[in-house]
Amino acid sequence: MSNEKYDQAQNLSYKLKLGLRTRISLFFAVGGLLVSIGLSGATLVLTRQQLIDSRENAASAFALTNATRLSNQLTPDSSVEDLPSIVDSMTKIEGSQRLIRIGNDWLPSQELDREDIPENILNRVTELKAGQLRVEINGKTRLVLGIPLQLFDAAYFAIVDLTDLEETLDDLRIILFGAGAGVTSLAALLGWWISRRTLRPLRNVREAAEAIAGGRLDTRLIRQSDPDLDRLSESFNEMARALEERIHRDARFASEVSHELRSPLTTLKASVGVLESRKNELSKRSQTALDLLSRDLERFNRLVSELLEISGYDAGAASLELEEVNIAQFIQATTRNDTSITYMLPANADSLVMNVDKRRLARALSNLLDNAHRYGNGPTLIEVSTNENSIQIAVEDAGPGISIEERKIIFDRFSRGSSSGQRGDDGGTGLGLSLVQEDARLHGGKVWVENPKGTESGTGSRFVIELPTIGEEL
Amino acid sequence: MSVRILTVEDDERIRTAVSLALQEEGWEVEETSNGEDALASFSRQPSDVVLIDIMLPGIDGFEVCRKIRRLGDVPIVMVTARSDSHDVVAGLEAGADDYLRKPFDSKELAARVRALLRRSKTIGATSNFSFDQLEIIADEGLVRVNGKEVHLTRTEFKLLIELATNSGKVLSREDLLERVWGYDYFGDSRLVDVHVRRLRTKVEMDPANPRYVVTVRGMGYKLQTQF
Repeated sequence: MSNEKYDQAQNLSYKLKLGLRTRISLFFAVGGLLVSIGLSGATLVLTRQQLIDSRENAASAFALTNATRLSNQLTPDSSVEDLPSIVDSMTKIEGSQRLIRIGNDWLPSQELDREDIPENILNRVTELKAGQLRVEINGKTRLVLGIPLQLFDAAYFAIVDLTDLEETLDDLRIILFGAGAGVTSLAALLGWWISRRTLRPLRNVREAAEAIAGGRLDTRLIRQSDPDLDRLSESFNEMARALEERIHRDARFASEVSHELRSPLTTLKASVGVLESRKNELSKRSQTALDLLSRDLERFNRLVSELLEISGYDAGAASLELEEVNIAQFIQATTRNDTSITYMLPANADSLVMNVDKRRLARALSNLLDNAHRYGNGPTLIEVSTNENSIQIAVEDAGPGISIEERKIIFDRFSRGSSSGQRGDDGGTGLGLSLVQEDARLHGGKVWVENPKGTESGTGSRFVIELPTIGEEL
Repeated sequence: MSVRILTVEDDERIRTAVSLALQEEGWEVEETSNGEDALASFSRQPSDVVLIDIMLPGIDGFEVCRKIRRLGDVPIVMVTARSDSHDVVAGLEAGADDYLRKPFDSKELAARVRALLRRSKTIGATSNFSFDQLEIIADEGLVRVNGKEVHLTRTEFKLLIELATNSGKVLSREDLLERVWGYDYFGDSRLVDVHVRRLRTKVEMDPANPRYVVTVRGMGYKLQTQF
């Protein structure tokens, strides 16, 4: 798996996964929800049963009393017409109604008549058995009780309204639901708090890791009282120590290599300088050899200094030395007033100051100019443009141009354009453009190549360095 | 009398090659391989220019530089092989007038030495200046602050003279690099900054709040004449 793919996969799984703290809180919340559902359910079922039972008992007791009273006051000759006066003397409870049958005649209540009495109660009463049933009549839950009056061909039916019971249960449901929601939220909060407490050591680890990544290599974690966590911080500190040592070793190595390479070069350059000043004492053949020697010494020298520069970036040892640089002067000095180039500078370039590392930016611009000389038939245009928070320096040439595929790799180390011809002839080191890129990056900017303004690909190239205008409060 | 150059360099091959290159210019070279020998040689017979390598066995180049600076205002060039910039600033703070990075061109080395020799021979101005309590008597190479004589090195003196002859005008770091050191636009402006700092410790009452040599942000330095 390539690094890039691995990163993508990592990113994807990051997006899909919830954070540890969210997961712990969610776990607690679900737990709280399940517990409150269970408890509320049980409460509701038990309460409902109890309420209904007691109401049914009361209703049947009251119905039985009234039925007995009715039975006592009836005579074999009684008819439906006698009933209202008897009924008036009976006990009434709120929400209850009664229907009375004598023979085939019915005394209806105000709201209901015999059609509303369920069939199986009627049947039970016909079989001279008392019965009761909970049913819905006219949209209301009611308890229907039927009591046969055995001495007469009559029956007493009581219909009790249970709506108030349902209302009570609805209230209970709302209360239990609210309590359940409260318990769930509390559980989530508890989970959040516990995870926060548990993960606090991990946050310290994160902060320490960020500090190390930010360059404070001597950052260490303090020891933890918890043995499990202490092992973690010990391993972390061990890693940080190893990393710090490694980085210091690399930096020391780069510095030593630098010294070891520069020393012989110093001797070589001084000696070749002596030979150069006595060149006319040498034979033609020796002069040719000396020319070869000094040219390649110069190239070798450049390669060494660029390699050391690159290794400085890699070791993280490269630093900016910012100073205020006048743009017009800078361009003039770097190009040595080359009159074959067209200059397009902002109108206020003479008073425009940028805060940059002069040496690095000069090298970057020189490298672009060198590049244009080597591969693009020489630079044709330098354009400087500024906006609120960046400055762009563009170098154009009228050479063969750079293909889209090559534009991607042209800033890689030791990559040279296919059109750049045979290695060795051009005198380049293959590091120039990657140094431009590193220098631009160090400034917080970037470099890219595009088509010259208003042209098609294949007619020259335009290299652009873009730098942020940092700390420009002039 | 011919020009004498004292070199301190522990690498024998470099020492010999550099001597050859300097002798090509017609200068006399006194070679030493460590700081102790260099100090002994300088006390015996002061040279016109000193070339000090920073990495030396025994006492290091910075210390040699400080000790020689205490003995006189001879021009000193530091030579460094390291890429990090701390060495450069540390060398200048120790009293060096200029520096070279290895590997250097023998032509570049000769140009540096010539620029330093020029500075120590000619003052560049003959008129005298007086700014408030700061007095410059150019032809005698004297500077007085509050009537008390202060001792400046040749480079510091040249820097002050350049600022004084253009007093009230701002000189950019590049201007000063060219006028004092003979560098082109790409000279190291830290040379100017460190020397200005050193100059201030000598001529300013309060170097942190300079009265004479002031910084003009975004432009450079100037010698203030309005108080």
